[in-house]
Amino acid sequence: MEPFRFSYVNIGNTMLQQLTNLSDKDLISRARKLKDQEAEGVLLERYSHLMVAVCLPYLNTAPGRSADDLFPALLQRLSNSLKTQTIHKVNEWIHYNVKAIQDKSDRNLPFFSTTESREIQQVENRIEHAAMNQKEQQQLIAQMNVVISQLPAEEKHFLTQFYLEQQPLAQLAGSKKYSIDKTRQILKNAKQHMASILMKQTYEQ
Amino acid sequence: MSSNLENNDKILKIFSTVRCMNRDQLPRYLDGRLTDLEKHLLEQHLVDCDLCFDALQTLSQAKYREQYQPLSVSISQYIRNSIRKVSTTQKVERYQRLEQKKESFLIYFWVVAALALTAGGVYLVQQQNKLKTLNPPQPIAAAEKVPEPITASQRQPVAAPPTETASAPATQAAVTAAVIPPAPVADSLRHRPAATVVPAVKKDTLKAAPATPKPAPVKDSAKKTPPASEAKEEKSTLQPAKETPAPVAEKVEKKETPPPPKKEKDDDDNKKADAQPTGTDEFLYKAAMVYHQQGDLNEAISRYKHLTDSKSKYGELSRYQLAVCYRSKGQTGKARRMFKEVVRMNGPMKEKAQSALDSL
Repeated sequence: MEPFRFSYVNIGNTMLQQLTNLSDKDLISRARKLKDQEAEGVLLERYSHLMVAVCLPYLNTAPGRSADDLFPALLQRLSNSLKTQTIHKVNEWIHYNVKAIQDKSDRNLPFFSTTESREIQQVENRIEHAAMNQKEQQQLIAQMNVVISQLPAEEKHFLTQFYLEQQPLAQLAGSKKYSIDKTRQILKNAKQHMASILMKQTYEQ
Repeated sequence: MSSNLENNDKILKIFSTVRCMNRDQLPRYLDGRLTDLEKHLLEQHLVDCDLCFDALQTLSQAKYREQYQPLSVSISQYIRNSIRKVSTTQKVERYQRLEQKKESFLIYFWVVAALALTAGGVYLVQQQNKLKTLNPPQPIAAAEKVPEPITASQRQPVAAPPTETASAPATQAAVTAAVIPPAPVADSLRHRPAATVVPAVKKDTLKAAPATPKPAPVKDSAKKTPPASEAKEEKSTLQPAKETPAPVAEKVEKKETPPPPKKEKDDDDNKKADAQPTGTDEFLYKAAMVYHQQGDLNEAISRYKHLTDSKSKYGELSRYQLAVCYRSKGQTGKARRMFKEVVRMNGPMKEKAQSALDSL
């Protein structure tokens, strides 16, 4: 049996293990502030399987485009973008870049999160913050109940069935005889609608 | 009530954040190998995440699923390989940078240390030079010489009284003679090879010196005045004192101090009956002047004070200088008092004292 040998590879592995426990936000900040390419690599590896899955139709349909060309180019693009752009949600950022590299006309446009996405994120942050304060949490719950009651009946139904009654997506779609995609879209719109009302109320206060 | 509270809490789930599907969860979701809770959480995330939803939609097709697994592994490997390369090179670069920093720090340290040492050395040399310039050996030597002539001249009153008591006119003649002839002064200067710097003012001080009775015996004091040899002795004793105020005299003129020769002339004219200025007073006065010019006002004042009781012309002069010293020290009250005393004395310094008093 060979004795244990200390090397950079081992150091790299331990570092990788530590970095994999960090959140996306921490990895981005490490990659930016400390120019830590390991953190950048860990972040990209975390989403690499999703990139592959999303790119598969393009690889099969686009002529003369192989995985050996596409993925290094995509990773390089993401690496460059990481250093310059503001990233609130990594999944949105990767999705935007995957679509941009597939559609060459939008290649040079930088990524900006949409207003709806920012509103949802602000509400998410607010709920996270309220988790530490019982009073604030109760106020927020009351406010959300009021907002849900203001939503259209279908959106209200889907939200209550999916989030409060914990009905699976397929079952919910089947109950209304909608496709899963349409059901998802209704839920997404209802959520965005709710977030915009909540944020409007916050600004008015 | 409890179900209502639970529902209330569940409403927050609408905006709860759930991470994207990981490498393991994605096929498990497709295969239906997830718990209800896990599945619901992922579905909550799928509502928001286009990336995960598109990935699921793609992988739900069998042809893509076959390609997915090897590609997913290879891209992961590709990223890890690039990280390792980068990290190794980064670490080598960091190590090299650290070493360079250490070396440069050491170089800076030694450069700074060398500069500090040289600066310290230069500073010490400068300080030494300053000390040398502040304490020049010549004036001190002159000041130290003063007591010697004083002791020598102290003999004079012992020898002189007979001359004074014996013949007042003779002394008067000697005094007048001391003022008139420049020749003996020149002679006396010739006799002094040691005199290094002899400015023009020195002649005045020499003229002022009372110890020039040499011509007196030549003219009209053949009867009783001391012999020329005695006078020469007196001169010789006075000579070092005459030399000492030499560098001082120029400055004295600048400082509005009264030029001694004029005063002496006036003194000689007006105060023939006054007491003849003794050598002691003269030396004391000159020594005080030396200190005055060196800027040691306290010492000069103490020396001038010794002379204030003198009935000779140096009494008035020393009062005037005392007033000047007080004025330069900023003690205007004392200076005014001294100037007033000089004015009251009604001597040759009266006008200057009055003008100084007016300007105060």
